[in-house]
Amino acid sequence: MWRWRLPGLLRVGGGPGGVAVPRAGLKKLALPPDYSGITIPEKPKLKFMDKVPAVPKVQREPRRLRDIRGPSQVATDFTQGQYGILALGGGYLHWGHFEMMRLSIGRSMDPKSMFAVWRVPAPRKPLTRKSLGHRMGGGKGPVERFVTAVRSGRLVLEVGGRCEFGEVQPFLARVAQKLPFPAVAVSRESLREMRWEEEQRRLDNQNPWTFERVVASNMLGMRKYLSPYDLRLKGRYWGKFFLRHRV
Amino acid sequence: MGASPRQGRPPDSRSPEELPVPVPVLSAAPAAWLPALQLLRHGSKAVTRHWKAMHFQRQKLLALTEYLRPRPAVPPRCLPRHSPEEQQEDGYARVLQRQVEQTLRDSRMVAVCQYNSMPDEDVATLRHYLRKHNIHVKFVLNEVVRPVLAQSKYRNLLPLFVCRNILLVSPETRAREMLRVLKGVPQVNLLGACIDDTILSRQGVENFARLPSLEVSQGQTVAALSLLSSQTSSLLQRGPAHLTALLDEHIRQLRGTGGATEPPPGQSTGNH
Repeated sequence: MWRWRLPGLLRVGGGPGGVAVPRAGLKKLALPPDYSGITIPEKPKLKFMDKVPAVPKVQREPRRLRDIRGPSQVATDFTQGQYGILALGGGYLHWGHFEMMRLSIGRSMDPKSMFAVWRVPAPRKPLTRKSLGHRMGGGKGPVERFVTAVRSGRLVLEVGGRCEFGEVQPFLARVAQKLPFPAVAVSRESLREMRWEEEQRRLDNQNPWTFERVVASNMLGMRKYLSPYDLRLKGRYWGKFFLRHRV
Repeated sequence: MGASPRQGRPPDSRSPEELPVPVPVLSAAPAAWLPALQLLRHGSKAVTRHWKAMHFQRQKLLALTEYLRPRPAVPPRCLPRHSPEEQQEDGYARVLQRQVEQTLRDSRMVAVCQYNSMPDEDVATLRHYLRKHNIHVKFVLNEVVRPVLAQSKYRNLLPLFVCRNILLVSPETRAREMLRVLKGVPQVNLLGACIDDTILSRQGVENFARLPSLEVSQGQTVAALSLLSSQTSSLLQRGPAHLTALLDEHIRQLRGTGGATEPPPGQSTGNH
C-alpha cells in the first residue's frame, strides 16, 4: 500500500539545532596571480626556422631511426616559459610543421603579454626519397627535405608571460593535435603531476612481475624474443610509440 | 585509461630535481648473456611508422607485467573523509569579525532577529524608522559571527545564529520603540536580545519594554525611601496648618459681611 512520506531530507521540525536553510556564505576572494618576476623578451613570437640549414649537408647520411626511439634526454623540463607542448611519441618535424606552429601560435597569442620560445633545433637531418615510379636500385635518392628528430618526453616549445593555463591551453592543444606524433599541452604544475602520478603507479603496482625484472634476469629466456634495447626501455616504448598505460 | 585517484598530492617542490629518485630493486643486474640467435628473419626495422606486430611471447610478457592497482580491504570511499583544513583565514572575514566585535562592545542593546526576504524599499523604510530611535540595523553572516561570539561573553547567544538574521544594536535601551516598529514588519521576528549584559528572550524584551523609564523609576524609588520622613513632617505641620485654614476662613467671613466689625487684635494670634 502506498503511503505518502516526507523525503528524508525535509524532516518536520528539523533536528535539535533547528532547520538550517542553505544559503550562500562569505565570498572567498582569490588574490590575482603574481606576475612580478616575468619579463617579456624583445621578440616574443616564435623565431622563423629555415627549411634548409645555412650549410646544407651534401653527404647523404643513413637513416638512423634510433634518434626517434626511446625517451628523450634533452629538453625534458621547462626553462623560460610556464606552459608548453610535450611530445608523447617520437617523430620528425619538418618545415611545414614548424610553419604551422609558428603561425598558429603567433596568431593566437598576445605579443604584449605572452612570449614563446622553441625547444627544438631547426631542421638539420637530411631525408632522402627516391623519385616515384622507379624500381629498386640506382643508388640512394636525393635529399628531399630536412627534419628534426623529436623523442617522447621532449618539450617542443614553451609559452610564458602574464597569462593563465586556461588562456593558453586551447590553442596549444590545437597545435599539439596537428603534430606528427601524439602531443599534449602542459603547464609546469601539470607536468609535475604527470611525473608524480607515473612514479606513484610504479611504486604501488601490486604485480610482483615487472617487465624490467623479467628482462634484467632473463626469466624464461625472454630476451630471445626481446631487443637489447628493452633493457633500457623497460617495455614502455615500442618503436617510436610511447606506451603510456604501461608502468 | 585513467589513473586511479591517489590519496596525496605531488610534493610541493619548486625544483623538479628534488623528486625522490627511486632506487631500483635489482640494482646490479647480472651480466646477462645475449642469445646466440636473435629472431629477425625478415620484415620491418625496429622503428616503423605503423604499429609493428609483436612476437606472441612478447605480447604474453606484456600481458603478464601489466599494472595492477592496489585494492585495499576497506575501499577509501568507506573511510571517513578528511575535510580540507582551512588554508588561511580570509582577510575579509577577519575584518568583518573585527567590526562585529567593535559593534558588540559599543552597544548596550543587541537584539537578534530572524530576517525573511523583504523588498528593498521596505528594508530601507525599516532602517529609517529604527534610525530615528538611534537603533542601527546590521546584517551579519553566521560564519563570521559564530567564532566571535564563541570567544566573547555572549556565547549563550550562539543557538540564535542559525538562519539568516540581523542585529539591531543601539547605545541606548529603547525597547518599546523597537518593538513598536518591529510589530509593523512581519518579516522580521525578534528572537532574543542582550540588554545591559542581560540575555532576554522575546517575552523578557516585552516585559522590559513595559517597565517605566529610568527617571520615573528613580523618582519612584526616592519617593518610596522618603515616604516616612515626609509623613512625619506632614503630621507635625497638621496643627498649625489647621489653625491657618480656620483663620483664613474667618477673615473671609468677616470681609463677606461688609467689613463693619473690627478685625481681631493681632496680639491674640501672636500669643499662640
